[in-house]
Amino acid sequence: MSQPESHPLSKEPLAEFRADIASWLEANCPLSQRQPIVREEQIWGGRRRVFPSQDAQQWFEACRDRGFTAPEWPVEYGGAGLNAEQAKVLKQEMTRLGCRPPLYCQGLWMLGPALLVYGNEAQKREHLTAICRGEIRWAQGYSEPSAGSDLANLKTKAEDCGDHFLVNGTKIWTTKADEADWIFCLVRTSDVTPKQAGISFLLIDMATEGVSTSPIPLISGESEFCQTFFDHVKVPKANLVGELNGGWAVAKELLKHERKMMSAFEGMLEKPAMELLELADYAVGSDAQGRLNDAELRSDMSRHLMRETALGQLGERIYWQGKAQQIDPRLPLLMKHLGTSEAQAKDELILRALGDEGLSMEDPNVSAGLRKMVKQWAFNKSLTIAGGTSEVQLNIIAKRALGMPSGEGKS
Amino acid sequence: MILNEEQAMLRETVAQFFTEKAPISELRSLTGAGDEQGYDSQLWSEMVELGLPGITVPEAHDGLEFGWMGLGAIAQEAGRCLVASPLLSSVVLAQNLLLNCGSDAQIAIYLPSLMSGEATATVALDEERFFNPDAVATSEVSGALKGHKTRVLDVGQCSHIFCVAERASGERGIAMFAPSAEGVTIGSRRMMDLHSADSIQLDGVSTEDVVWLAGDDVEGGIQRTIDQATIVLAAEMMGSAREVLERTVAYLGEREQFDVKLGTFQALQHRCAHMYCELELAESAVSAALTALDHAGPNVSLLASSAKALANDCFTLISSEAVQLHGGMGVTEEMDIGLFLKRSRVCNQLLGGSSYHRDCYARLNGF
Repeated sequence: MSQPESHPLSKEPLAEFRADIASWLEANCPLSQRQPIVREEQIWGGRRRVFPSQDAQQWFEACRDRGFTAPEWPVEYGGAGLNAEQAKVLKQEMTRLGCRPPLYCQGLWMLGPALLVYGNEAQKREHLTAICRGEIRWAQGYSEPSAGSDLANLKTKAEDCGDHFLVNGTKIWTTKADEADWIFCLVRTSDVTPKQAGISFLLIDMATEGVSTSPIPLISGESEFCQTFFDHVKVPKANLVGELNGGWAVAKELLKHERKMMSAFEGMLEKPAMELLELADYAVGSDAQGRLNDAELRSDMSRHLMRETALGQLGERIYWQGKAQQIDPRLPLLMKHLGTSEAQAKDELILRALGDEGLSMEDPNVSAGLRKMVKQWAFNKSLTIAGGTSEVQLNIIAKRALGMPSGEGKS
Repeated sequence: MILNEEQAMLRETVAQFFTEKAPISELRSLTGAGDEQGYDSQLWSEMVELGLPGITVPEAHDGLEFGWMGLGAIAQEAGRCLVASPLLSSVVLAQNLLLNCGSDAQIAIYLPSLMSGEATATVALDEERFFNPDAVATSEVSGALKGHKTRVLDVGQCSHIFCVAERASGERGIAMFAPSAEGVTIGSRRMMDLHSADSIQLDGVSTEDVVWLAGDDVEGGIQRTIDQATIVLAAEMMGSAREVLERTVAYLGEREQFDVKLGTFQALQHRCAHMYCELELAESAVSAALTALDHAGPNVSLLASSAKALANDCFTLISSEAVQLHGGMGVTEEMDIGLFLKRSRVCNQLLGGSSYHRDCYARLNGF
């Protein structure tokens, strides 16, 4: 994925690189863009993109022009061509200064990495560049009402009509599809068995006639997800990624990145109104020695913080193993399940500590920041479901990490 | 966070050594008397020949300076075979207490004999039902040491006892004396995991028979030593937990019921996968703590508490599940699974249970 020799930056020794990055960030990242991100100010790009402020636009454009929206992608597709170590330095320096992520986009995290592997040259040039430049916002069309964990059971059909496919069907849990420009979809192009062998990966412009979306209200009171409908939608054949009926391989590549993203989302999300320790002290108070008055909450918080820290340390182990080429391929399989369940454990601590203030999502007497935390608790129940449920993750771990024998009736 | 080439090679050598020389059947055959009180002295001599006492000792003191990650790897391999040896009591606890709390002259006198295996030592920390290193009632009164110590590892064959006690001045100190000194009564005890942890009664041990460690920062040195031992014990526990999980997964892959391998049942697969997640999570905390020791990183006490609490919880879970998943065989003496179960509960109490370490963690984080 990285092409170190394709960019002059890559030839510099790392210390010099770090200094260069630091001074570039100092010069180009406005102070307002070094404040913790709030959800309303995330830049998602797309045809209908709006910038919350001039500073935000300036910061986005500076990153775009230097390829820093996709640091590890090749320069010819709009990236910066950094290798993994350089990208880590960039991330460290951005974290140090508190720089906001310049662009949020499913194209960036999921479609792009898969296109780099499976896309043809024309597709890479067209789509990767538009993603890096924040010109096109992508949605993901995988799940269907009758194809969730059993994704291969999907029914949305793409019929071969000579110069185009005719697509009919529906996709569900399409994140923010009502604001997206394009959608990458898994569609059925053959009824052979196994079901996986009849699936293709198709890119669809959502402005095409016959595409419609409908938001799904969630238990958090929001609607992050939509159902998307395809009614006799004509899709040019050039939009097929990989082989006809070879979509499953592309989907698997992409899912890897989705899981990676879901387990390492920290820092890109809006910071809560209060950190856990501050919130607990606010809610239950502390004694003269500074110990929280609720002994059980205190102990459970220690347990959670230890585990949260250990997750970061697991990430570090994986990083160092990669660097030393002593890779244990089992470890990355654990990140999604561990990361999402620990995030939920934290939400439960927050809700418990909030007590009375955690009982409503709408109570105007409770500060907006705290209400957001309650909504987050409800929304984050989706973390262990989206992108491969925890149960599917455990199946994978049992099979691939522990080598347990395959049984009947499971993936 | 990962082993270097030398450490990886050492790990392999040691793993092979323990598998050949110290399988669990050897632990079971210890009679618990004489040369086999607590551990097999012959096995220990061979461990000394491998250089294990010098792993973390600086080259300036003729050690190997192989690092704490290296020692952690050895402890893990020892944990896989539930090896009984003075690795924790003499090498990790006593040697480091000497290095952290002794004067240069004292280190020069006592360290070489510990590293050569001529002598072994142990540390008497505990006094109460639960680990609580701050509660030290043992004290020096009118030129004599009085008190009671408990859970002192491998006293049976040791030549020196390093005992934490309150000095006449009111400061905490380390009194070193021989187990044969007048006034010392040893109550030997073989624990359910077949390792030994004894009690020591001190009825006026004359301070003439005692050497006080005379380094610059005894108080800080005690804490440092406890952190180091806690981290290495956590590493050993991870080795045991990994071994017993592997044995369980292998058993489920062989045992057939209802005409299928038990391992094909999803309910059991998920329990094993969950255990494996917990194992690698705890292992990561232990690696981070060992790495902090190697690089003199900050927050070592915090990392030690994390490592031990996570190792306790993980080994407890895995050893309990291992017994359950072995079915009837799990509760028989024919299998070694029960020994892992017992060992986990003993390790929990040594150097602090999870609630103790969660309390430390909260205190160190200011909540």
